[in-house]
Amino acid sequence: MSWKLPRLVRRSATMILLVLTVAAAVAFAAVSHLVTRYTLNQQARGRKLYAVGLTAADSGHYDDAIAAFRAALTCDPTNSQYQLSLARALRDSNDPRRLDEAESYLIALWQRTPQDAAVNLALARVAAHRGSIEDATRYYHNAMYGVWNSDPDTNRNRARIELIQFLLKKGARAQADSELIALSTSLPPDPDEQLQAARLFEQAQDYGGALARYEEVIRIAPLNTEAMAEAGDTAYRSGNYETAQRFLRAAVNSNPEDLTSRQLLASADLILKANPFGGHISDAERNRRIDAAFAQAEERLTACAAHTGIDLKAAAPSAGNSPISPLPILQARWLAAKPDLDRLRSPAETDLPDAIMDVVFQIEQQTATVCGSPQGLDEALLLISQKREASSQ
Amino acid sequence: MSNAAPAITAPASTSPPPAPRPVRRLFFGLEDVFHEEVFFLILCVFIGIFSGLAVVCFRLAIDWMHLALLGPLPQTHSWRLFAVPAISGLVVAALVLHFFPAIRGSGVNQTKSALYIFNGYIPFRTAIGKFICAAIAIGSGQSLGPEDPSLQIGASIASALGRQLEISREKLRLMAPVGAAAGLAAAFNAPISAVLFVIEEVIGRWSAGILGSVVLAAVSSVVIVRSLLGSEPLFRIPITTFKRPSELIAYVVLGIAGGLASVAFAKSIGYLRPRLKALPRWTQYFQPAIAGLLVGLIGFLGFPQVMGAGYDSMDQAMHGQYAWKILAVLALLKIVATTLSFVSGTPGGMFAPALFVGAMLGGAVGDVERIFFTHLTGSTGTYVLVGMGVLFAGFLRAPMTSVFMVLEVSGNYEIIVPVIVANTFSYVVSRSLQGIPIFDLLTRQDGLILPSLEEDREETVLHVEDAMLPAPGTILSADDYVDANARRVQDSADTTFLVRMHPTGWNLITREQLQRMFREGKGELTLASVLPKQTLPSLYPDLSLDSALRYVNTYALIPVVNRADSRKLEGVVSRESVFRRYGGAQTVAGV
Repeated sequence: MSWKLPRLVRRSATMILLVLTVAAAVAFAAVSHLVTRYTLNQQARGRKLYAVGLTAADSGHYDDAIAAFRAALTCDPTNSQYQLSLARALRDSNDPRRLDEAESYLIALWQRTPQDAAVNLALARVAAHRGSIEDATRYYHNAMYGVWNSDPDTNRNRARIELIQFLLKKGARAQADSELIALSTSLPPDPDEQLQAARLFEQAQDYGGALARYEEVIRIAPLNTEAMAEAGDTAYRSGNYETAQRFLRAAVNSNPEDLTSRQLLASADLILKANPFGGHISDAERNRRIDAAFAQAEERLTACAAHTGIDLKAAAPSAGNSPISPLPILQARWLAAKPDLDRLRSPAETDLPDAIMDVVFQIEQQTATVCGSPQGLDEALLLISQKREASSQ
Repeated sequence: MSNAAPAITAPASTSPPPAPRPVRRLFFGLEDVFHEEVFFLILCVFIGIFSGLAVVCFRLAIDWMHLALLGPLPQTHSWRLFAVPAISGLVVAALVLHFFPAIRGSGVNQTKSALYIFNGYIPFRTAIGKFICAAIAIGSGQSLGPEDPSLQIGASIASALGRQLEISREKLRLMAPVGAAAGLAAAFNAPISAVLFVIEEVIGRWSAGILGSVVLAAVSSVVIVRSLLGSEPLFRIPITTFKRPSELIAYVVLGIAGGLASVAFAKSIGYLRPRLKALPRWTQYFQPAIAGLLVGLIGFLGFPQVMGAGYDSMDQAMHGQYAWKILAVLALLKIVATTLSFVSGTPGGMFAPALFVGAMLGGAVGDVERIFFTHLTGSTGTYVLVGMGVLFAGFLRAPMTSVFMVLEVSGNYEIIVPVIVANTFSYVVSRSLQGIPIFDLLTRQDGLILPSLEEDREETVLHVEDAMLPAPGTILSADDYVDANARRVQDSADTTFLVRMHPTGWNLITREQLQRMFREGKGELTLASVLPKQTLPSLYPDLSLDSALRYVNTYALIPVVNRADSRKLEGVVSRESVFRRYGGAQTVAGV
């Protein structure tokens, strides 16, 4: 280089340092300006690529989305939104090998903003993909208690609902139950959210909780036929037939084309009419129901024996002869109980209704095992027997 | 040797150490404070700042070139992939041949040459040429990295600044490595690795002054880069684990594989480079273009990852994005692509390609091992990281730098043991199969004989104890009288005798001197009173034999004393014994 610093400058350390400082400051300012302009340029390019990625991700083309998000990130490497979107695309691409990279992006984001609910939710979903209950629960909780940019209450409830769904899927009933309890206290009076919560309760087999939520939906939106039908269904499956009848009737009245509810309503009606242990019936009515059930049990037994090709008379059990099929034994019990029917009317025989109905229930349960699910009154009697068993336990 | 100094008592004839030289002339008064050493350290900070700014611009230029030439979204099977590097290769070749002939290759050797041959001189146009040509080459997809060019740009800026300021020749020589450290630190965003590399591979020796200047330059350049481009690391480091010591066997395998790959890489460059250079000059216009075309074809055929520095691909490998077969193919193709780009004379570095090959190889070996040994807990990311260090150790032959680079890049000290183990094996395998390290090989191909720092490290150093003779039978005491001492030496075959001074120190006296003193009537005086006060220098057995050379022509015998007790004589060295030992060593070495 032929150019030289002026002699005066070269001969003085102070001048040298002064010149170097000024030169460094000027060079720094110039490069800083260059970097700023370049960065702005790159950011604009990054936004375009990001938009391309979002479109691809929305249409399920995750490979294209990932490529676009990656390119956007090369333009703007520190952009949290791009990183988050890339992580989501990697996670949603259903390629297990990409989960590591997704997690890496998210962990980097999380280290910068551990309170960011969106990042925690994304991490929770990665953990859920991996099936890690512990990590998923931790990140879902972080998301619930983290900072949301908009509509925090709804987002928190959604995060909790997602956690409950994950826990139920993994069979972690106890943890799901506690989350459901927390959810039931924080739900807003929104029919959709209440309905979603009711379904979760039902999935967790907490029929009481589910019914409470359905009732809340119907209270908020009295014409919500979906809630009525599902409440009826839940009540029916939990053996609460009076409640089921009430909701199903309302559902059928609101929507006469709802055949499922109609069928369930018919079953509920039949069960309520056939149940000798139902409330608010007279002794006479109870005895009539027992008579009818006893007769129906014999018919079911005979039909089942015929269906399986067993001659009940020939196969009657005797001393030293134990039959292979349970049907002859049941017939023997039925025959033994038949004389007791006449004594039903005696007020002293308080245990007799239970004893007779036990025979009926045994017949219905055994024949259901041997000959398959019954229909009509037999089905009603079988369901009554199951409810009795459940309540006695 | 610097470590001999504390052991030696300077004799009277030794001149006092020179006072630090003030910088040129006083002007405002600060000069009283700024002696050259201090001024040099301050200058190093400015070198770091200017190098950092230059490297920031260089990185922007590469990014801009890449976007302009290849577009933001990499698309395989696009004609651009092979057309762009080929055409850019023509442009780069023309620039190199007509304007910047000194910028071929990586830049590490040029910096070393500046230190050892050209008194620290690197033309400033080298920085300009390297900046432009490397940006075009790397941006267009040639399989080369930006670190070595950054190193050379930093060295060139430092050299130019040193010349402008007319600093002493000794300091000017150091300017190039200081700038190199600044440039490399800025490129890697890793100051420790840069300092170690420059000390380990360029300067080759440690001292407080050198270390301080290199560290200051490296740190200030990294500060500049981080303040302008942010402190984002080169890679997003995944969770890395090392749980069971038994897993070290897996890393040993990786080290051996890395060593073999390093040898293949180095040998292919070493074989092809001189052959291409020997071709007629006109072919050099086309060599970078043909290399670019071939590298581009690799990208066109489905492996665009091998183009450019490849940091994005390393990042993806680290996160398990590739199956082991792809990783292995990428490692192989990168060796081919980098060899083609480098031997064609295209300016660009080998650091990033070495890291790339190591990363892919590490991932592939790790994945294969885990197929057969499912209990291995190391993630793909762990093997990729370790693999990067393995190639650095085996190919670039910088074992210390390789360890610290992995640690600095990953920020994770949990993997230090696997890194050390794998790197050691890679280094040993590479060294045993490829005697000359790649940088030394390249300088020798260019007709330059630079000191090989690896050879220096391995050279057998002679110590004082190797030339030491047994302690003489007669040792005089300075507290005894002259006549008694004269009587003691009367029957001795020796002519020169050591005198033990009181309370410490040694001196020499000859038989003639003693007899003369006796004749002069000094028999009733103690030796201490008649001998000069200045004592004899003494040596320790573990000192380098070079340290004895300073005294063997002045003193007939030099005492070798115990470090714990300087009155305890271990033996002596004489000129004959020292020269005899060197002669023996030369004979053994066959020189």
